[in-house]
Amino acid sequence: MDLISILATVILITTIGTLVVGVAAYAAFKLRDKRRPKKKDPTANQNQFDNPIFLKRYDPKADQEA
Amino acid sequence: MGLNEFKRYLTAALVLGGILVLGAYGFYKVRQYDLASFSIILESTILTAISIYLLIFLTLLIIRYAVLIMYSFMEHLEYLVKRNEESHADPISDAALPMITLVVPAYNEGMVIQAAVRSLLLLDYPNYEVLVIDDGSSDDTYEKSLAVAREDHDVPIRVITKPNGGKADALNTGMTHARGEFILNMDGDTKLSRNTLRACIRHFDNPSIGAVAGNVKVLNRDNIWTKLQALEYVEGLAMARKAQSFMRAVNIIPGPLGMFRKTVLQQAGGYDHDTFAEDCDLTLKLLMRGWHIAYEPTAIAWVETPSRLLDLLKQRYRWTRGILQATRKHRSAMWNPRKAGINFFILWYMLFEGILWPFSTVLGNLFFVYIGLKYGVVIFLFYWWLQLTILDIVAASYCVIVEEESPSLIMYSVGFRLFYITIIDISKVFATIEEWRGTTMTWGKLQREGKL
Repeated sequence: MDLISILATVILITTIGTLVVGVAAYAAFKLRDKRRPKKKDPTANQNQFDNPIFLKRYDPKADQEA
Repeated sequence: MGLNEFKRYLTAALVLGGILVLGAYGFYKVRQYDLASFSIILESTILTAISIYLLIFLTLLIIRYAVLIMYSFMEHLEYLVKRNEESHADPISDAALPMITLVVPAYNEGMVIQAAVRSLLLLDYPNYEVLVIDDGSSDDTYEKSLAVAREDHDVPIRVITKPNGGKADALNTGMTHARGEFILNMDGDTKLSRNTLRACIRHFDNPSIGAVAGNVKVLNRDNIWTKLQALEYVEGLAMARKAQSFMRAVNIIPGPLGMFRKTVLQQAGGYDHDTFAEDCDLTLKLLMRGWHIAYEPTAIAWVETPSRLLDLLKQRYRWTRGILQATRKHRSAMWNPRKAGINFFILWYMLFEGILWPFSTVLGNLFFVYIGLKYGVVIFLFYWWLQLTILDIVAASYCVIVEEESPSLIMYSVGFRLFYITIIDISKVFATIEEWRGTTMTWGKLQREGKL
């Protein structure tokens, strides 16, 4: 078996492995995204909208006056 | 099922029906003349068709690499000539430089926001302000930003907090409140090179330039995935932008670093919310309005890239679907070359890169693996891989020299073609199919490791 044939076999095995890993990784990524638990945010209201926590609300008018 | 979805499925059904009719006709002819076993003829026809297709694709790919390298080299020469001329010209007085507002959108960037904002205070420019937009973070991004703003320094820092509305909304808020004549939009986790503002602003001497794209590089080169991305950013993104800049038509102003004339940004209506690639969408909007977009290679944005495979796929999934959404939004230019001018080529080029390329490389791999396993002709797969790898090595070598990058990146070209790009292309193919099907998607924020 010459060098080119050995390299070709290595490439073949790697390519098959990569194709399998590529599909599996994509499936894992989709599965992980679907299975992620929905966070129970204490600031969420009944409609599940997040209320922003304003520590100091920005007011452009007040800023200009200052 | 909506009307659009029905149309999509109808088109697909008609295409498949057409293929079946052709197949049936072929089968009838074979039976009529008793030429050979139908399965043999069918297989050889499909394999021949794929071979011809891959040959055409390969030719397009070689042309693509040749044109990009040639144009980016011409842009490089033009840049060197300009720099030489500028060194002999009278320096511009600092007092004459316009004000620039740096807009830093931040959503749950508590881990990196202080380092990011502090790094902005060290930029070499006399007249700029920093505007941090806290996009309703649930962590301590706002408090940490305020703490830096209250420190004693020469550069004005303002922090605005607003309900969570996404990055596009945050950048639009920044545009509304910016005091500068020019706006530099960036990401909350980005570190800019010190010369960024001076390097970008000089492009605006040309009144037709509406925006300038910066050079994005990978900061966290810690493992194989991030090192391969470092190569990809240099070879795939920077080289393409440099080539496009020669025609003043960069097709994506990267989110981590883009400078705009404020008036241009306002006239375009800022960022839209209807795509997942708001930077690409805005760039196309500016191009469609006739503005030229330049690229500044010395203005560098160092970013933290995903260091885990699944995070990387998540990012690429969003990029792929976002770019397809933006392209579809501006598709009228694809069918009107006379009116669209260079935008016609830009959109087709984006489709080539976004759809044709990933599909073709995956198809090529499957085809040659099939040939290798069924007929024992593994050598074709080797040559297929070899010629693509040679293209990558040539492009990587050129980019490493021009970008003054680490030569070790060239070594990663082998792994880049061997497994990295195949995995990325598979996810792009799936993302394209999901975009075609209209599957719902979310933004999907990446978890930062705080490497800034």
